[in-house]
Amino acid sequence: MSNGKLSYFMNKSKSLKDRNFDKTIKIALLSSYTINGFYETLKVKMSEHQIGGNIYVGAYNQYNQEILKDDSELYNFKPNLTFLMIDTRTILGEIFYSPYSISAEERKKNIEKKFLELKNLINIFLNKSNSKLIITNLHVPTYSPYGLYETKTEYGFHSMISDFNKRLEVEFMKNDSVYIFNFNQFVSKYGNDNIFNIKQFLFGDIKISLDYIPFLADEFLNYILASLGLSKRCIVLDLDNTLWGGVVGEDGFDGIQLGSNPQGNAYVEFQKHLLALNQRGILLAINSKNNLEDALKVIDDHPNMILRRNNFSCLKINWSDKVSNMKEISQELNFGLDNFVFFDDDPVNREFMKSSLPQVHTVNLSKDPSQYSIILQNLKEFDTLKITKEDSERNQMYLEQQNRKELQNNVVDLDDFLKQLELKVSLKLANEFTIPRISQLTMKTNQFNLTTKRYQEEDIEKLAKDKDFFVGCAQVVDKFGDNGITSVYIINKQNKKEWIIDTFLLSCRVMGREIEKAILSHIISDAKNNDVDKIYANYIPTQKNKPIENFLSNCGFKHENDSWVIIPKDDFKLPDCIKLIEE
Amino acid sequence: MSKKLYTLIGRIMDVPVTELNDNSSPETIPSWDSFNSYLLLDELESEFQTEFSIDEVVETKNIADIKKHLKNHGIILDD
Repeated sequence: MSNGKLSYFMNKSKSLKDRNFDKTIKIALLSSYTINGFYETLKVKMSEHQIGGNIYVGAYNQYNQEILKDDSELYNFKPNLTFLMIDTRTILGEIFYSPYSISAEERKKNIEKKFLELKNLINIFLNKSNSKLIITNLHVPTYSPYGLYETKTEYGFHSMISDFNKRLEVEFMKNDSVYIFNFNQFVSKYGNDNIFNIKQFLFGDIKISLDYIPFLADEFLNYILASLGLSKRCIVLDLDNTLWGGVVGEDGFDGIQLGSNPQGNAYVEFQKHLLALNQRGILLAINSKNNLEDALKVIDDHPNMILRRNNFSCLKINWSDKVSNMKEISQELNFGLDNFVFFDDDPVNREFMKSSLPQVHTVNLSKDPSQYSIILQNLKEFDTLKITKEDSERNQMYLEQQNRKELQNNVVDLDDFLKQLELKVSLKLANEFTIPRISQLTMKTNQFNLTTKRYQEEDIEKLAKDKDFFVGCAQVVDKFGDNGITSVYIINKQNKKEWIIDTFLLSCRVMGREIEKAILSHIISDAKNNDVDKIYANYIPTQKNKPIENFLSNCGFKHENDSWVIIPKDDFKLPDCIKLIEE
Repeated sequence: MSKKLYTLIGRIMDVPVTELNDNSSPETIPSWDSFNSYLLLDELESEFQTEFSIDEVVETKNIADIKKHLKNHGIILDD
């Protein structure tokens, strides 16, 4: 959990230019204690969500007067949302310090009286204003003068405050104009020792320490977003390493991580929380580069899969890029891109989404899957002021919609995005350091693999020593980091004039980034320099390598008998977005 | 470290660092009101990872006092 320091928001608010925002709202802040800095923080946070508007801050501890007086500044301001921040000390007065100076019966009467006073005040406000009212409930201290005997005490100090909170909640349960913000839970989340700073309290009646004002502002911002209808409606999920661990196309149905061990349990935990959101009406969709069959087999048949096909309103499991898929999901579900939250473990995909479709809320997912469910639970993007029966039925509605649509594949020009990636491909020879990985890639790679020839380490060692063969591999680095050795190519040079591509593969980790073309361009120019007349290649179809069935023809290879051939003396262009380095 | 102190004060009071010296105080800096004093002390405590006593807070009248307190907390401010 991170947030800026209060002084950051204080300074930033000064530099906020007057802009015309799409959405505006009028907010009133009333409080029983010092809330300096809250205005500035909320203003900055609203502007970050493209929300403009005015904020009225009531005078220090004058909320009673503001609400009771007919023509108070509060009513003249005509707020849309009013936040009333009250605190336990102010409401209880001396009883806060000396709860046991009176009997249990008297404590009960006292709470009854305090509650009726507040209820009366709220009703007066509702009569005079059209604003929704959000009231913070009371923090229940952990301290008690009775110490461990506290829980043995009838209507004790803690019980009386909890009772006050309960009455408040019950009283306004059915009233759509009043919301109770659970401030007591807010304190639990961040800790009383952090929220309450005794020195700040003694000096300035500051009851929420300055460092935590931005966190409380975040909570209030959720009401603002929800009241403006800016809540998100759909979570779009990647599959491999997002809903389960590993790559189903590589590791297979039995090889993915889903339940059964700590890592696998992390994905199950994540899915359980997603299911709960789905049950309350948040739609789920899939946006994944995968073979449809492989993915659906897991979704339909994996014993530990929590989310099944009918939990998803839209499935985009194909080889199109994620941005095109996202646009299609938006069209098919028929709501705007700003309704979507996107989960993907791959930072490159996330960056592509963020830069192409900034309206989509792309979640900064941790590298560690154990954090996925925590990150999901901390998202406030789904908060709404109302949840209805229709919400939970929404899923079924979209499911039917989905059945009417056909899967479509779109191609989008990715040049600009790829250039921004600053891709570097380093070509390496087979040696004692690279051979284990080369062998591993030939054993594991299924999708982008022209011939799917499997080679043990010993085989690669042999081939590397053989003068008639060339074994190379490539390491791919981009601005987000090192993808490691992710490509292997083996050339049969037995015939000096006619080379044969024995193996050409690329890990799915780096697919779709023109890496394959860069490596191919190197092979072709190498052949040209060696006066080779023809390079032959084969595509041996398997159940898994369908994504590259057109790769050779797309690269200019011509079909000749049962093979594919390219003439090296014809120029083959190195993709602009890639820097090729020979080591 | 002195530079760090002045930068922090300048940022919170929203005044150029060049206008600050040991004698700078609420009397000389208009934006140095009581709330900004709390804000300053709060950020000093987290920046220098220390805690001021209530006496120290009350006694702080200018930047020289802040330096004195920091020194008493074993925080060396070299220029």
